[in-house]
Parts: sequence; structure tokens; C-alpha cells
Amino acid sequence: MTVADKPSVLVVAIGNPDRGDDGFGPAVAQRLRGRVPPTVRILERSGDALALIEDWNSSPPVIIVDAMTPITKPGRVHRLDLTHSPLPVGCSPRSSHAFGVAETVELARSLGRLPQCLLAYVVEGEQFGTGAPLSLVVAEAVGDVAERIASEVLTILKAKEKGRHA
Amino acid sequence: MRARPMANRTIRVDYIARVEGESSLELHIGNGKVDAVRLSIFEPPRFFEALLRGRGFDEVLDIVARICGICPIAYQMSGVHAVEDALGIEVEEPIRALRRLLYCGEWIQSHALHIVMLHAPDFLGYPDAIAMARDHGDAVQRALALKKTGNELLRLLGGREIHPINARVGGFYRVPNRAELALVAEALKHARDQAVKTLRWTAGFSFPEFFRDYEFVALRHPDEYPMNAGRIVSSAGLNIAASDYETEFIERQVPYSTALHSVLKERDTYLVGPMARYALNWDRLPPDIRALSDEVGLEPICRNPFRSILVRGVEVVYACDEALRLIADYGPPSRPFVPPEPRAAIGYACTEAPRGILYHRYRLDSDGTILEASLVPPTAQNQDVIEEDLREVATAGLDLDEETLKARCEQSIRNHDPCISCAAHFLKLQVHRT
Repeated sequence: MTVADKPSVLVVAIGNPDRGDDGFGPAVAQRLRGRVPPTVRILERSGDALALIEDWNSSPPVIIVDAMTPITKPGRVHRLDLTHSPLPVGCSPRSSHAFGVAETVELARSLGRLPQCLLAYVVEGEQFGTGAPLSLVVAEAVGDVAERIASEVLTILKAKEKGRHA
Repeated sequence: MRARPMANRTIRVDYIARVEGESSLELHIGNGKVDAVRLSIFEPPRFFEALLRGRGFDEVLDIVARICGICPIAYQMSGVHAVEDALGIEVEEPIRALRRLLYCGEWIQSHALHIVMLHAPDFLGYPDAIAMARDHGDAVQRALALKKTGNELLRLLGGREIHPINARVGGFYRVPNRAELALVAEALKHARDQAVKTLRWTAGFSFPEFFRDYEFVALRHPDEYPMNAGRIVSSAGLNIAASDYETEFIERQVPYSTALHSVLKERDTYLVGPMARYALNWDRLPPDIRALSDEVGLEPICRNPFRSILVRGVEVVYACDEALRLIADYGPPSRPFVPPEPRAAIGYACTEAPRGILYHRYRLDSDGTILEASLVPPTAQNQDVIEEDLREVATAGLDLDEETLKARCEQSIRNHDPCISCAAHFLKLQVHRT
């Protein structure tokens, strides 16, 4: 797939691999590469959340992978459908900066610029220290989430294919 | 709504949104007067100056770009000019032009973000840009388009828009060709239209009648509106080279903040940023930009910080025009960079970050190792001004109810677009009334 091609599905892995469990998204992205069809674009983002709106501008189905501060149990994975509803209270990562992922998703909703389908896989992190590796419980979730996303991608592609032939 | 001015009240806001970084504000009000104003930056010290010590001069740009996700170019530009000052490097005109073009990109994206996403909701009575976007979607779309264009410049010249990697001591690792720049020029023409519409939109806001007699401090260049070069001047007559910065300015600690406060040794508080830049360099703006400023009600000197949103808007239009001019005049340099030769020396530089002057000094060993580094960001320089503004804003609004006073104080802070992450990061507001 060339950069100019419209991807069939966009996976946006968010996080900083040098900040402990914040590296969950990039770790899942790494695991996914080569395991999904070439029409699936995998992006890693660590900075400007607002740029996500431009990332999904062509409106393919989008799957976000991110980490959050723990609310129940570190390592627990949440699958969220954000297409029609916001991030639940407590799952909205608090950013000290102006626009985080939750704010960007809601801004896009206000502007009518959400993709046709927006899913999020969010893991509850244990530690986010500078230079720290993934915690054991979060590292253990990487493979499982990569598998679930690969499966999710196939389901989306099959549904698209079915729609095309219908 | 009005409140009883003498009532004993505590007003508390856990997080003041829409600024970069983490800090808190306390207002102490007793007997109908504002006793104390404290902008407390509680973000842990980030130790970048210490982190630079012992590293090579060629690592400066990659390290300082990590200080801020909004204005990494400013850090890279002050860094590169200071190191080149130490090493005695003169760059070709095309390299100088590309650096100015890169700075235009940062001004466009940083200002567009602040004007529409962070500051405009204050004037229109919305809690945030998300709520504002439901009624002012066109304005928000324009800001996103502007930000995207600014980011395209950063991506092309900086290698990527966040923590760019392409600038280096002596020039760039890779310089763009005309065709690559021509593509961005098309986006810039559209961005220019968006910038003018944004400026005219903000000109329709209602601005509080509030004036301060600031000492403005900015760069001034003989020929151009300042970005990368110029002497440090002030509205009170200061006129120095960057190498004399520490002779005139001093940083001091305050017990309630992890960020240093920078003041003028002789006259204490001063203001840096778009208002200062504009006031001291209005005559360096092209006639059509001056006419646009006049159209939106800006005089050559603006002393109402609430109207700084207009000055930023003018600078966005200017940055689009200037970027287009630079692209039109561009011819690739004979080589992408001048190979640096390390030597023992001290280098100084000051450039105009979107929020104001950013000073860097490096002392290098003979092999280019950094022995000492000093960085003074614009927000550290504006902290005292922000506190003084707050004191006057709160004094004028003593009889306002809590929510109205809080909103006005937050708006006042955002007048200066503080980047608290740079100064050390965000904000609890507490108002104590006794």
C-alpha cells in the first residue's frame, strides 16, 4: 500500500515507549505488523492528539490502542466503541496538556469528523515512569490485544467485502 | 452576578484548562483587597540544563527539542544559533531562510491552536473548544487547517512535526527542493485566507477595558519582523546583544514554584511575547499587514492583554505571507550544512518563540563537550507579569461572584499563552477571601 492509498482500516497506536505502560500502544503496533493485510495502515502517535483528526480524515474504520491510569486493575483491557458514545468517565486519560485523545475524539464528534467506525482498546497501566519498561501485567496483555485487533480487522474487512457484493 | 466584596470566601479550581503544563494559582483576598497572587508551578523540575552538561554540542538540538511539544523549533533555533555563535559558524543565506521558514511553521501552528482552541472559548462563553465547535464549527475547522499547514512546514523542514530531527549545527541534515516547497506553498495560500478569516472572527469578540503599562521586551532586526535574529530591545530603551542578556536580566527563585522567575535587574517585571514583538516591531510589518491590523482595531502599540488574541492573529497572517515569500525566493544552498569544528568557547542566542524571546547560552570545552547550559524560556519571563495582571484583574473584579471571577482570572492567564511545561507545567486556582 502506498501512503497515498486509502487504507481499509487504520490502527492508531498511541503512547511513548520510554514511559513504562504508556508504551502499550507502540508494543501492540509492533506485534500487529505483518499480521494484518497490507491495506491496513498502522500509525504510531506520541504527541499531538489533534493530529488524529487529520489521520482519520479519509474515514476508514479506526482502531485506537492506548493506555490509561488504573481505575480497577492494572493490565485490564477495555474495548470501547466510541462511534456513538464518548469515553466513559474514568477512561478518559487526563492530560496536562491542552488536547488529549478524549478531547480530540469529542472535538471531532462536534465537528462531524469522526470516522464511520471508531473503536478503542485501552489497557489500564500500572506504572508510567520515565525510561521504564512495560509492567509485567501490561506486557502480558500485548499479545492478546494484538490478536483481538487482528481478528477485529478481519471482521471489518469481511463486512466491507460483503457490503460490496450485496 | 455580583458578590459581597467583604465576604469570607474560598474559591478553588482544581484545574484551569487550556494552558500547556501543570500549575496552580492562589489569590488571597482580605479586607476587600488582593493581598497576594501566586502562580505556583508544581511541575517537577525537568533539569534540562543539567542534562545537557557533559553531552556533545551536536546533541543539543535533539535534547532541547524534547523540552516542548508545541514549540520545539524555538528551542532548536535558539540552541543552534547559540552553538554556532560559540563555534564561529556563519551559514549561507538559504539556510538562514529555511530556518525562518521553519519558524513560520511553528508560529502558525502554535498561534492557531492557542487563538481558537484555547483562548477563543473565554471570549464566547464556552467551557472549551469542544462545546464551542458545535456553534462555531467553521472557526475550529479553520484552526485545524492552519495547524495542519504549520505542521506540514515542520514535517518538511524538521523531519517530523513533534520533536523535529532535521535541523543540525551548521544547517540541516537534508534541505528541501523547490518542488517540495511548492506543494506547501499551495497549502499556505489557503492557510493565509483561513488566517485572515480567523483574525476577523476574533475582532468581533468583546474585550474587557483593561490596560497595563508594560515594559515590552523583544528582538529587533534592522530589516525584518524578528524571529531568529536581532538585538534585544525594550520600550524603556534597553538595546543589547544576546551575549549581554545575563548582564541585564536575572532569574530568581520563589518558594512556591519550581520555575524560576526572570526579571530585569534594574526595573523588575517585563513582558515578552506577541504584544511586545508587535509593539516594538510594528514598523517592520509589511503595509498590508499593518492595514489589516488597523482594520481589526489594533493600534501600533497594544496595551490591553485581552486583545493579544488579535496580535497573535496578525502574526499568523504575517507568518503565512512570510513563508510564501521565503519559498518564492528560495534557492537551495551549496551544501546542506557547514561542518562544525569544536572549540572551547561560549555562545549566546535569543530567538522569538511564539510566546516570546527564548535565551540560550552554552559553554563548550575544546572537544565540544557542553560544560554549562543556561535556558530562559518566555513563560519564565512572563510569570511576574501574569501575576501582576491577575492582581489588577482580581482587584477590578472583587465584587464579582466566584465563577465569574475565576473565569476572568483564567482568561487573564491565557492572554499570555503560558507554556508551563517549558517553564519547569498546570493549574489549580484558589482564591482565599478573609
